[in-house]
Amino acid sequence: MNDETKQKINERYQKELGRGEFFWPDSIFKDLIVSLGIFIVLVLLATFIGVAPEAKADPADTSYLPRPEWYFLFLFKFLTLYGQIPVIGRIEWLAAVLIPGIGIALLTFLPLLDKSPYRHYSRRIFALVFMAVVVLDIILLTVMASLPAAPNAQELEISTRLQATGGLWIPLAVLALLAALFIFRRDVYRESTRRSLPIWITVAGSLAMVAMTVVVSARAAAYPKPEEVEVASTLVDQIFAGQDLYSVQCVECHGDDGSVAVIEGVEGLEGEEITPINSRDVLYTITDSAMYEVIAYGRPNAGMTPFGKTYGGELSKSEIDYIVIFMRYMWDDRFELPPEALKPLFPRLADGEVPSYDVHIAPIVKRYCISCHREGKENNNYLMTSYEEVLTTGDNVENNIIAGDENSYLLQVIQDTPIMDPEKPDEEMIGVMPPSGHLKPDAIEAFIRWVMNGMPETAEDAAELSVVPTPETTPAP
Amino acid sequence: MWKKVFDWLDERLGLNDIYKNLLDRPEPKGNWWNTLGSASLFLFILQGVTGIFLTVYYTPSPDHAYDSIQYIMEGVAYGWLIRGIHHWGASLMVIIVFIHLLRVFVTASYKYPREMTWLIGVGLLLATLGMGFTGYLLPWNQRAYWATTVGTQIAGAVPFMGDFILKALRGGPDLSALTLQRFFAAHIWILPAALTGLVGVHLYLIIKHGESHFPTRED
Ligand code: HEC
Ligand code: HEC
Ligand code: HEM
Repeated sequence: MNDETKQKINERYQKELGRGEFFWPDSIFKDLIVSLGIFIVLVLLATFIGVAPEAKADPADTSYLPRPEWYFLFLFKFLTLYGQIPVIGRIEWLAAVLIPGIGIALLTFLPLLDKSPYRHYSRRIFALVFMAVVVLDIILLTVMASLPAAPNAQELEISTRLQATGGLWIPLAVLALLAALFIFRRDVYRESTRRSLPIWITVAGSLAMVAMTVVVSARAAAYPKPEEVEVASTLVDQIFAGQDLYSVQCVECHGDDGSVAVIEGVEGLEGEEITPINSRDVLYTITDSAMYEVIAYGRPNAGMTPFGKTYGGELSKSEIDYIVIFMRYMWDDRFELPPEALKPLFPRLADGEVPSYDVHIAPIVKRYCISCHREGKENNNYLMTSYEEVLTTGDNVENNIIAGDENSYLLQVIQDTPIMDPEKPDEEMIGVMPPSGHLKPDAIEAFIRWVMNGMPETAEDAAELSVVPTPETTPAP
Repeated sequence: MWKKVFDWLDERLGLNDIYKNLLDRPEPKGNWWNTLGSASLFLFILQGVTGIFLTVYYTPSPDHAYDSIQYIMEGVAYGWLIRGIHHWGASLMVIIVFIHLLRVFVTASYKYPREMTWLIGVGLLLATLGMGFTGYLLPWNQRAYWATTVGTQIAGAVPFMGDFILKALRGGPDLSALTLQRFFAAHIWILPAALTGLVGVHLYLIIKHGESHFPTRED
C-alpha cells in the first residue's frame, strides 16, 4: 500500500469523523444498554435454567459418551465425518491439527493476505461469500453434532453419509469453486454485471447444505431419545436416589432396612452370618470413604461382590456416594433425616380402595423384591421389573397370581406360608418372601387387595374397581 | 467547593485530559453493531468478578472439586446465581466475541491502519476459547472429565510433538490431579493475565486509530 492510498484513507476517515458523533455520550450509551441487557439475560438464564447437574467424574466409566462444550462441537463433528473418508481419513492429524491450524493462520494473517484497500461490500464479494459458507458450515455442523445418535448400524451409515454430504462435501465443493473462480477468473468478482455468479453459487450451495441438515434432523427426530441420566442435586434427592439403588443392589443380602444378620434366599450365601449394616458397629467404625471402598470393592472373601464399575460392578462413583448418603441419613443416629425425605412408600389405602400397580405395587416391589427378582439372580425365573413381567414370568406362573384367589402363591409366601413341593411334600418349593424379614402389614394388605380385585395396572383402572364405603352412621356420643 | 476539589484532583490526576482523550472522542456515526466489542469486554469483566467469587469456595482437587461445586450450588447464599452467571456468561462470551469478529470482518475494519487490532483480536479469540476449554474441566464431573480426555487426545494427534503436548497438557499420560491443577492455573492465572494484557493493547489501538466508519460506495 503506497503513501498516497494511505493518505486518501486517512482523509476519508477525517471526513467521516467530521459528520460523526462522540464516544461520550453517544456510543457509550448504546454500550451500556447492551451490557445491561446481557446482564439481565444472564441472571434470567441462571435463575430459570440454571446449570444442569452432572454426575461426578468416573474414570472407570468408559461407556460415557464424551461431549465437548457446545462451541467445540462443530470441530468434533468435523473430525467424525472426516474419519469416514477412505485412506486419508486414517491420518488423524490432517483434520485434527492441520486444517484447524490453516484456519487459524488464515484468520490471523487476514490483514496481510487481503491487501486491497477497498472496504465496500461490493468490492469484497470473494471474502464475504467465502466467510459466509464457512460460518454456515460451522453452524450446521454444530446442529448435526447435537442430534441423538442413530439407533442401528444401517441408520448410522445413512445418516453419516447425509451429514458428510451436507457438512463436508457440499461446502468443500462450493469453497473450492469460489476459490478457483477467484484465482482463474477474477473478473467475475469485479465486473458488476457478472458479480451475481459467485453469489448464486453461494446461495445454491447454502440451500443444499441447509436442506441436508433438515433431512438429517428430520430422520433424527424419529430416533429413540437417549436415556436421561438422573443426577440428584439436593440432599433429599440424593437420599431417594441412594434408596432406589440400595433397593436394587443390596436388599438381596442386607434386607430393606439393613438389619439382616443371617442371609437367606441368596445362592451360595444361604445361612451366612453377617453384621447388620444398620448397626452402630458398622456405621460408627466405617468412615464415608471406607464405606465407599467396601461398596466399590465388595467383601470378596465374605461373599459380597464388588459394585464399583472399576471392579466390574454396576455402580458409578456418584451412585455409590448416594448409597452412602442414604445409609447415613436413614440409619446413622448422628445424622438427622430431613423431614421431606420421610415420605411414605405408597399412599395409604382408604377403606374399599383398590390399589393399582403404578401407584402402590410398583414401589413395594421396587423396594423389597427387585433386588432378587431381576435378570441374573436366582428366583425361579420370576422377574418383577414391569407390570407384564410380574404377571407373566416365573416357573409357577399359572399359580403365582390368580385374580381373586387367596391361594395365589405370591399371597401365600408373603404371608409366611411357604409353598411345598407337590412331589416331595417336606421340601419347600418356594420359601417365604422376602426370604429374610417380613413385609409391613400395609404392604401385605395392598398385595392382597390388588390380587383379589384383578390386578389393575393404572390408577384409573383401580379407581373404577373401588367401592366407596357407605359412611357409617356413628351415633353421636 | 466541588470545583475546588475537582481542580485539585485534576491538577494531580489529569482528569480533564482523561476526559478529552478517552470519552470526548469524535467517532464516525456508529450503530448497534459497534457495541459488540464493549459487550465482550463487559462479559470478560463479569466473568472475572463471578470467577473470583467461585474461587473462594472451589477446591481444585479430584477428591473435592465436585463436592465444592455442589456446596456452592446448595450451601452458599446465592452461589447458584454466581455459578449460573459464570456458566452462561462463558457461552455468551464466545458467541459475542465471535459475532464481534464477524462484524469487523464484514465491515473490513481489519484493513489499514487497524491490522494490529485484528491480530490482537485473534489472540483474544483463542484465549477466550482457551478459557472455555480449561474451565470446562474444573467441575470434575463426567461431562468435564470425558470431554477433556478427548480434547487433549486430539491435541496429542500433532505429528512428532503430539506425545509431548499431550503430557504437557495432562501432566502425565492420563488425566489426574495434576491435569486439574494445571487447567485451574491456566484458567485463573495464565489465560486471564494474557487476556487482560491483550485487551489493554486492543483498547489502546482502538483509541489510537478511532473506530472505523461503516464503508460506503466511496470506500
Ligand atoms: C451377595 C450378597 C451381598 C450384597 C448384594 C451386598 N452385600 Fe454387603 N455384605 C455381604 C457380606 C457377606 C458381607 C460381610 C459381612 C460381615 O463380614 O459381617 C457384607 C458386608 C457389608 C458391609 C459391612 C462391611 C464390614 O466390614 O462390616 C457393608 C457396609 C455392606 N456390606 C454394604 C453393602 C451395600 C451398600 C450393598 C449394596 C450396594 C451391599 N452391601 C450388597 C453381602 C452382600
Ligand atoms: C433375597 C432374595 C429375594 C427377595 C428379596 C425376594 N425373593 Fe421371591 N424368590 C427368591 C428366590 C430365590 C425364589 C425361588 C424360590 C425359592 O428359592 O424359594 C423366589 C421365588 C418367588 C416366587 C415364586 C416364583 C415362581 O414362579 O416359582 C414368588 C411369587 C416370589 N418369589 C415373590 C416375591 C415377592 C413378592 C417379593 C417381594 C416382597 C420377593 N419375592 C422378594 C428370592 C427373593
Ligand atoms: C475478549 C475479546 C474482545 C474484546 C474484549 C474486544 C473489544 C473490542 C472493543 C471494545 C472494540 C471497539 C468497539 C467495537 O468496534 O465493537 C473492538 C474493536 C475491534 N476489535 Fe475487538 N474485542 C475482542 C475480540 C476481538 C476479535 C476476536 C477480533 C478479530 C479477530 C477483534 C478485532 C477488532 C477490530 C479489528 C476492531 C476495530 C473495529 C473498528 O475499528 O471498527 N476483536 N474490540
